Amino acid sequence: MVDITLNQNSKLGSIDRPNSYIGRSLTRDGAIRHLEGGGKFVDDLILPRMVNSAFLRSPYAHAEIKSINISDAQKYPGVIDIFLSEHIDTVCKPWIGVLSHLGEMRSPEQSPLAKKIARWQGEAIAIVIANTRAQAEDAIEAIEVDWVEKEPQINMETALDKDTVVIHKELGNNLFWTRTVEQGDVKKAFKESSTIVEATLDFARHTGVTLETRGIVADWDKSEKKMSIYHNGQAPHMMQHIIAKHFDISEGLVRVISKDVGGSFGIKVHVYGDEMAAIAASKILGRPVKFVADRLESFTTDIHARCHKISGKLGVDKNGKFLSMEINDLSGIGPYSMYPRTSAIETNQVLNLSGSPYIIPNYKAVGTVVFQNKTPMCQYRAVGHPIAVAITEVLVDKAAKKIGMKVEDIRKINFIPDDQYPNKTPSGVPLEDLSHQATMNKLLKIMNVPDLEKQKKLDLEKGILTGIGIISMCEVTNPSPLFYGVGGAHISSQDGASIRLEGSGAVHVSSSITEQGQGTEAIMKQIAADQLGVSMDTIRLTLGDTDATPYGGGTWASRGAGIGGEAVLKAARTLKNNILKIASAIMQTDIDTIDIANNSVIRKNGGEGISLKKLAETVYYRGHEIPQGTNPELIATSSFYIEGIPFVFTNSAMGCQVTVDQDTGLIKINKFWVIEDCGTQINPKLVEEQIRGGVIQGIGGALYEECVYDDQGNMQNATMADYLVPMACEMPDIIVDHVITNSGRSILGAKGAGEAGTGGAPAVIMNAINDALSSMNKEVTSQPITPEKILKAIGKI
Amino acid sequence: MGKGGEEFIMKSPDFCYYEALSIEDAIKFKSNDLESVILAGGQSLVPALNMRLSSPSCLIDISKIKELKNITKDNDFIYIGSAVTHSEVMQNKIIIDHLPVLIDVLDMVAHPAIRNKGTHGGSIAYGDPAAELPAFAVAANAEIILMGLNGIRTIQASDFYHGLFETDIQNDEILTSIKYPILKDNQKILFDEIYRRHGDYAMAGVVANIEILNNEINNLKLVFFATGTKPEVALKTSELIIKDGYDYSNVKNMIKTELDFESDLNSNAEMKLHLATILTNKILKLMET
Repeated sequence: MVDITLNQNSKLGSIDRPNSYIGRSLTRDGAIRHLEGGGKFVDDLILPRMVNSAFLRSPYAHAEIKSINISDAQKYPGVIDIFLSEHIDTVCKPWIGVLSHLGEMRSPEQSPLAKKIARWQGEAIAIVIANTRAQAEDAIEAIEVDWVEKEPQINMETALDKDTVVIHKELGNNLFWTRTVEQGDVKKAFKESSTIVEATLDFARHTGVTLETRGIVADWDKSEKKMSIYHNGQAPHMMQHIIAKHFDISEGLVRVISKDVGGSFGIKVHVYGDEMAAIAASKILGRPVKFVADRLESFTTDIHARCHKISGKLGVDKNGKFLSMEINDLSGIGPYSMYPRTSAIETNQVLNLSGSPYIIPNYKAVGTVVFQNKTPMCQYRAVGHPIAVAITEVLVDKAAKKIGMKVEDIRKINFIPDDQYPNKTPSGVPLEDLSHQATMNKLLKIMNVPDLEKQKKLDLEKGILTGIGIISMCEVTNPSPLFYGVGGAHISSQDGASIRLEGSGAVHVSSSITEQGQGTEAIMKQIAADQLGVSMDTIRLTLGDTDATPYGGGTWASRGAGIGGEAVLKAARTLKNNILKIASAIMQTDIDTIDIANNSVIRKNGGEGISLKKLAETVYYRGHEIPQGTNPELIATSSFYIEGIPFVFTNSAMGCQVTVDQDTGLIKINKFWVIEDCGTQINPKLVEEQIRGGVIQGIGGALYEECVYDDQGNMQNATMADYLVPMACEMPDIIVDHVITNSGRSILGAKGAGEAGTGGAPAVIMNAINDALSSMNKEVTSQPITPEKILKAIGKI
Repeated sequence: MGKGGEEFIMKSPDFCYYEALSIEDAIKFKSNDLESVILAGGQSLVPALNMRLSSPSCLIDISKIKELKNITKDNDFIYIGSAVTHSEVMQNKIIIDHLPVLIDVLDMVAHPAIRNKGTHGGSIAYGDPAAELPAFAVAANAEIILMGLNGIRTIQASDFYHGLFETDIQNDEILTSIKYPILKDNQKILFDEIYRRHGDYAMAGVVANIEILNNEINNLKLVFFATGTKPEVALKTSELIIKDGYDYSNVKNMIKTELDFESDLNSNAEMKLHLATILTNKILKLMET
């Protein structure tokens, strides 16, 4: 790993000037603080008069609540009060998880607590408020509920059958949303195809598994009519709006504070009934209420993701050129569409993204999303990508093998060429600044495919099944207003940054982007210091507080660097300009002759400069020394959002080599390679951490992670012992390298880097495993690819 | 954090905590309060409390009783005190010199943080069917030493396990130590398991106690774990191998006749049978090396 990415973006100035921090792998100070145990998480917070909470949750996937008796439980030691849906609803208005811009979505009203009918195992029924969590849990055991079990609707494949239980009677059936995308003439193109390959793939439900579970402290101040929310979320301003709206509080009087967050991965960007109930309890009681999910609650109430069955068809001509692609995707989302982002987006991404690296003139994609009596499903890291990438790349491999082409060659002749952007995905979504050819070429070079092929042959002679996989993919990052805002959701696609020079010479930066452990703080500081010409130690940073930061979207969909970072860059440049104007007045010189470096205004031609500290002191304390009419603003604020396109896409190519043990069905990933093109890298080490972490979560989806349900809708593995996330021993050596194509949408040129690993790893692992099994003429099509599935596929059990 | 803060972090049902001063003290307490449970390393018990799967009246902490913290050698036997942690066992000179295979086995027990707290006696007494140590104890012909109101009692490890998490420990008894015979020169214990993640309970595992005479297997005791409700000795399979050697189908058929397989989340009964068969072969190959 080189420390510095040279010459990556001419708009950012020379890399060898003083204070050039963009592109350098600086150590982030936040990491040391966490290593020392200095993190301050929601559960660490103790406020005066604070009470704790716990929830009675449905033990059944589908059941009617005939009656609830809380009178015994209310007498338990330490219990302050117990609230049911009817109490909570007096202060909190219900919500509906639909958006208007993607066609008709049908989801019923949802309240924080279930009324009359519980629709998934784990749905909150009652909130017990007590002095301690233990006391609240004691009281839960004393709540008497008269349950009448109803037949659950579990299987998504039979969700729309005539005799299937309908979860919401008023909707008539279990359909939430459907969409068809069609470009060109698919039917005709398949007829003209000389070879057609097909595949059907299954992706199990899994979840995000954040190290820190969801948590909230709600503090209603009656006298000020102000609601303060300490929340380990990703989007403080979105929560501010939602809380104001549903609790009928003036939006300016809702303060959302999201400081240290122990991982989010999209799990913590949704509205959860239990958190809303805790806020309601605070409003009713007029005292701070804490709720922190335990691990069982995380597994059964944090959103799940994936749960897709997708079939696809690819038609190619004699030369291997893609003519036509058709996919049909089915997904099950639990009993409600999540609010406010809806549970349609994963399927929507599958329809948009399938086939996206390639020229495929005729394309049809049908998505169907149905309700189930399981935990609600929504957007988790790399939304839809694993499904879209896998169906595409599995079909591409099949086509290559069927017509006798090398898997790399068929990709090369079908890529949208790097010099032919702007372009469009087969589904019609605009693309620009991508580099599939360059990334694939670099991947093949560092993988040394001929050597790997040789080794595979030698292994096979010894009876060892080794396989090699490659893929190419597009990654949705930096969404524009066309993503959510256009559909009526109050989710900001804009981010803001404010930077001020203080009297001490310190520089204070605040940004609407949040930090969830990925190093946002570090890159914001690097951008500000780099653009201003100050040392890193002068920068202080405030994130995650709606009272203290500019308005903005927060951190999700890999938007922190590209959107939030650009806002910081713009604010820094404006502040720099302000400083230089003041300095030129003080120094009696033309503005073009001076610059800022090493915390001082310097004369480009040498000679005495002025430190920023001195300059600030002059402005703040001795303004009379400055010529009249000079603008004294040592603060600048800027905003940025992506204009003109729905997303700034990133692309990457990945490869991996696996060994499949024929006796045990165990899969070993020997090596994994990623070439990522995320444009300007602000801190290459953090980019690579994002890629590697993403790959690990992708390995989770591909080989380990699954929310296992029985046929009655009971989750079977809701503990960290039984739900398998890959751990240190399961992590292969991951080689990361880069191609750099800057985004033309910003000065910074950065795109997102957080989704690729998770989006691409499942496809490349599946391709490598199927390559290993190809000598036996066998394949696997269902993820996670477990030892049992391998042994079944090869006929051992 | 002040007192209020400590209250906030409790999640389990209320219980009393009793720090036993001696084995006799612990026995006395336990026999007077049948709802109380022994706390050693707490690696299974504490999560169970927090998940409210268990609500004992009292936790009797035996981890500070000195007599339970020793590893000693007496002629042909090694005694491991029940409150010795896995990490302590792995670093103990007597174990390194005389029972090194146990270190390899413990390397498969969870992760270092858990091994620093989890105890030898805790794992043996808990009797998780997927745990390594109960099967190891059975294969190694260990004896479990229990102390109760009526004094000391010793039971063969193979008789100690009755069923799923069920052992022979009586209400007034405490497991004080495990007695392992030192291996003879021509004897070795081999161990293997198949797991999805390192440190997890296995999908299937085996511990074999083998005696070699003139380069041939003279005596074999195969003990399987993570296959059924308790560690199980496959006597007939062991005999079959001594007689005929390994053949996949023959061994599989024999294992099927003498073991009961229970499906779990990671492998169904059929897969466990297959893996048990594969493991038998792996053990025999290990023996050759």
